[in-house]
Amino acid sequence: MCTVAMSSLFYFFRESLTGFSRNLSTTLGSIITIFLSLLIIGLFCIVGVVVNNVVASVEEQVSITCYVADEASDADIKTVENYITGLDGVESVSFTTKDEAMENFTKSMSSNTDIVGQLDGENPLPASINVDLNEAQEVSSIAEQIAANETFKKICDEPSDPASSLQYGQKTVDKLFSLTNSIRYIGIGLIVLLVVIAFIFISNSVRLAILARKREIEIMRLVGASNGFIRGPFLMEGALHAIIGAGFAIAALEVIHRVALPRISETLPWLPIDVAASTFILVYLLLIVAGLVIGLLGSSFSMRRYLKV
Amino acid sequence: MTNESSTEEFADTQTSSHAEVVSNLTTSLPVVDVEETTRNLGNPVIAFDHVSKVYDAQPKKPALDDVSLKIFPGEFIFLVGHSGSGKSTFINLIIRQLKPSHGSIYIANEDLKNMRNWRVPYLRRNIGCVFQDFKLLPNKTVFENVAFALEVIGKSRHVIRTQVPEVLRLVGLEDKANKLPDQLSGGEQQRVSIARAIVNRPPLLVCDEPTGNLDPQNSRGIMDLLERINRTGTTVLVATHDREMVDNMRRRVIELEGGRLMRDQDRGVYGRHV
Repeated sequence: MCTVAMSSLFYFFRESLTGFSRNLSTTLGSIITIFLSLLIIGLFCIVGVVVNNVVASVEEQVSITCYVADEASDADIKTVENYITGLDGVESVSFTTKDEAMENFTKSMSSNTDIVGQLDGENPLPASINVDLNEAQEVSSIAEQIAANETFKKICDEPSDPASSLQYGQKTVDKLFSLTNSIRYIGIGLIVLLVVIAFIFISNSVRLAILARKREIEIMRLVGASNGFIRGPFLMEGALHAIIGAGFAIAALEVIHRVALPRISETLPWLPIDVAASTFILVYLLLIVAGLVIGLLGSSFSMRRYLKV
Repeated sequence: MTNESSTEEFADTQTSSHAEVVSNLTTSLPVVDVEETTRNLGNPVIAFDHVSKVYDAQPKKPALDDVSLKIFPGEFIFLVGHSGSGKSTFINLIIRQLKPSHGSIYIANEDLKNMRNWRVPYLRRNIGCVFQDFKLLPNKTVFENVAFALEVIGKSRHVIRTQVPEVLRLVGLEDKANKLPDQLSGGEQQRVSIARAIVNRPPLLVCDEPTGNLDPQNSRGIMDLLERINRTGTTVLVATHDREMVDNMRRRVIELEGGRLMRDQDRGVYGRHV
């Protein structure tokens, strides 16, 4: 039984290879479209991982700065600090005095000492409470809660509008999310389009293979070849196209992995671009599976229409 | 597995009743016109029970109209009638290329109506088919063409290497095994197609106009071959309008006309009036 199955597999393989040489142009066409669509799927997976890294590193940096009026009492500041520490999603709270704020400012302007000099020794910078967060998404709700706090209203830098005394990177986060979302939509659209094209190409080349072997199929039916035996070579052909296309896509991605990524991270060192090798292997497996699904579905689609058994 | 065992049963019933058939054929007298022949020859190989076939293209004119008959193991039957009389439909129904519109067909006691699609290939392994246009693969040699029939039903190389030369010897083509079909005469090509049909040793051989493309001499040779195959116990059904052949051989004749069964006659001739 086993040897029969093995010899059938061998037979399917041999037959699908003759199909290759018979319709070289369509075979190449379907392999190339499969290759392109899988390559783009793979690229989007890798880019997605990079973007997630970027988002994560930005989220880590999200904090709220609460500016405090110069005349605020230490006791009030302490009360507000305790209140904020007690909020959900807050990781840590620290205090920056007026002098420390000036020091930071001087440091960040070190290349432009004129500005600091023009202040004539005065310190216009307010003291602040710095809040680090666990959850970047929570930033606006936490800011609202701080703004609503009675003690904070009393000590905030601008009592008329407590919310304006709070500064946080909400806009940055929002922009980043909308960017990644639109990248995702464009990517999904492109992938769907390419998958459809690859599907059409594969089913077309399988259709041609079926038509080329019409006579053989007729005889196979007459002498009682089982349906699986008749379909086998065509399924194998679709699967082979897909696997070869996936092989090319994997090779291209591997070139990107080995050659292009190190160059990019050299030129753009701030981009957290290093993608783990295991991620690449996962993506490769995904590509093979996706390719097989497209190939097998494409060929069974044609068989359903042109191979009544 | 189930298929194998049923094949054996099929073969058993056929060989046991073969002797009876032969004795019956020698003693029976010609029966004129349609008649329910009550023979006791065991289970019929083919039984048509009020079978009609209507094609969608011609709903008013059935290709087969209420045909009932039985064919027993070891018989040699001519199916005669004009073009369009339903001969090909009859044959396509037996190998279940078509399904009847009404009535039931039993092959070796199995109702084709209830047969699941995946079982059909196993039915066809028990029925050899020969056609007017030979249906050979032009890019394969004679040997490969015959071997193809065994290859695609998953027979081992060993079986192929022993059975193919044997069957080529039976049809008289052992020295043409490596020729391509277009290097052979029409008669020889038809022998290849017969070899392919019987290489798997089916109990039933169905031929649709096997001599339609051949000259009388070649036709004679093909008929001799079919007769020889019949003598080994294989039931042979030949659709033909080769009048001379039918008249010479004096076998059971089933005549169709406009889809109706006009005549079922033992040791009959082609025309109705002798």
